[in-house]
Amino acid sequence: MTFSRPLLLAGLLALTLVAAIGSILFGPVSLSLGRMLATFTGHGDPIANAILLELRLPRMVLGLAVGAMLGLAGAALQGYLRNPLAEPAVLGISNTAALGAVAALYFGLSQLHPAVLPVLAVLGAMLSLGVLFTLAGTSESPLTLILAGIAVATLASAGISLALNLSPNPFAAMEIMTWLLGSLENRSIDHVWIALPCIAVGMGLLLWDGRALDALTLGEDGAQALGVELRATRLRLLLGTAIGVGGAVAVSGAIGFVGLIVPHLVRPLTDRSPSAILLPSALGGAALLSFADLAVRLINTQNELKLGVVTAFLGVPVFLIHLMRERRLW
Amino acid sequence: MRRTGRIALALPLLALGGAALWATTASPAAAPTGKPKRIVSLNLCADQLVLALADRDQIAGLTHNATDAEMSGEAAKARGLPLLSNSAEQILAIDPDLVIGMPARRSAAMRALKGHEYNMLDLDTANTVDEIYASIRQTAAAVGHPERGEALIARMQASLARLGKPGRGKVAAYYQRRGFMTGTGTLIDDLMQRVGLVNLAAKLGKPPLSQLSLEEMVAARPDYLIVESATDRVADQGTEMLHHPALAGIKRISIPQAWTVCGSPAYVEAAEAMAEQLDRSRAR
Repeated sequence: MTFSRPLLLAGLLALTLVAAIGSILFGPVSLSLGRMLATFTGHGDPIANAILLELRLPRMVLGLAVGAMLGLAGAALQGYLRNPLAEPAVLGISNTAALGAVAALYFGLSQLHPAVLPVLAVLGAMLSLGVLFTLAGTSESPLTLILAGIAVATLASAGISLALNLSPNPFAAMEIMTWLLGSLENRSIDHVWIALPCIAVGMGLLLWDGRALDALTLGEDGAQALGVELRATRLRLLLGTAIGVGGAVAVSGAIGFVGLIVPHLVRPLTDRSPSAILLPSALGGAALLSFADLAVRLINTQNELKLGVVTAFLGVPVFLIHLMRERRLW
Repeated sequence: MRRTGRIALALPLLALGGAALWATTASPAAAPTGKPKRIVSLNLCADQLVLALADRDQIAGLTHNATDAEMSGEAAKARGLPLLSNSAEQILAIDPDLVIGMPARRSAAMRALKGHEYNMLDLDTANTVDEIYASIRQTAAAVGHPERGEALIARMQASLARLGKPGRGKVAAYYQRRGFMTGTGTLIDDLMQRVGLVNLAAKLGKPPLSQLSLEEMVAARPDYLIVESATDRVADQGTEMLHHPALAGIKRISIPQAWTVCGSPAYVEAAEAMAEQLDRSRAR
């Protein structure tokens, strides 16, 4: 079934809006609608103000922005690499970005300047993308890229564990888990200012390439014949993914599978061209991550549930189905 | 979570009932063989009591964290003394004439040495100042210096008597990394009551250790947050949450974990630090 594009975008936008409103409405403390309204009209009591404006609002903004970034990065990578399994977490980009963030935090570098944290995360993401593109450039099979990505991801998560073990932090185990599974718990407006600029730049660069991605479905030669500047396209994609995902991971940790499932979920609703799924994937990612974060808050567990747990439960089945379909190419 | 583990360990002990424990544990230590010359401590909290009460040349081994100033209130005194890695081999080599633990029998090293008979002293986890006094008396008797124990207790009681109740019934929450809050029946709760504070955990009816989200803390609005001084600086995500802007309006009292993690003579320093910071925050 194919919806018309405005209808699809409107539907996804409505879904995202519901998720956003939900993340303002629900939390561990239940506030009456009246108190919430008072806050948003500027007459709120200090407690409701603090809860809504300093705790729930930053969390909502980050959930939307990080989810949109991951969804869009997944769609762009799948289009560019012509590989249905490409996405930041599977390719190890999220983990290397988390490694950069961990290095910044635990060796005290982030105290030198607030920008050090996202910069190191972006550099980490760029490093893994560089390695992957070098490897994928020469290979025919789409699985080479995935295997290389898994290797990079494993190495990066081992690096995170090692970095935390080397740092004089007795609580390293807890922290490793947060970085590898991701969480939006207790984020503040400071985190929004770290992530949002990076995500804006990243999304801008990725959305730019829609037409080039469509041309690339004809292969690199075909795309060049259509006038696509391959080098510039690749550079924008690399920078956009690294900057956006790096900034997102710096505040949320590595959240898996959002970039994988969202493009697959929206693709059947579009004409299946790479450019047509970019914007819907961003919206879908924002909605999915916000709903996942809402689930984390509403499901009552003794210890806080990690975001990556919820997204993995959603994402792994999709991943496995695609892997099975690709088996004939091994 | 170190503290979680300690409390989890302490609860079944408390359930057993203090009286039965005192009776079984006091006897072996009181053996009239003169002063022990090779004392081994198997527990960070026991380290502090041994350091406070025994002569240096009596001490043959402390735990490997004994010199860590972040964890032990007697870290400076422990410097230069042998530190053990809780291995049975080391204990065999020392051949101690007194082994102190909480309880000593439960430690992995002692279980490995089941066939060997050592003179053991099992201390109970102290959750009130009276239980600290009891531990001091037991340890002092076991190391052969009961008079030092009485003198130390007298000094502690005198210092504590000088403290007023500067808390004046205000509500405080002992808030740890990742939002863990310390409840009633703990040394922290005892300290709060001593300086006249009401524990938020008691007000909310929370267990000895609970997790309170930032939202719930903001909604509860305690007058004071008591934090470990190690979390004064943002070092990781666990401590970052304690510096969330939403908590900025709540006054803070910061005390080193080394003074509160064990029932030790440092209880007095913790109480004095809390009282002094309460006085200062009121003067402002």
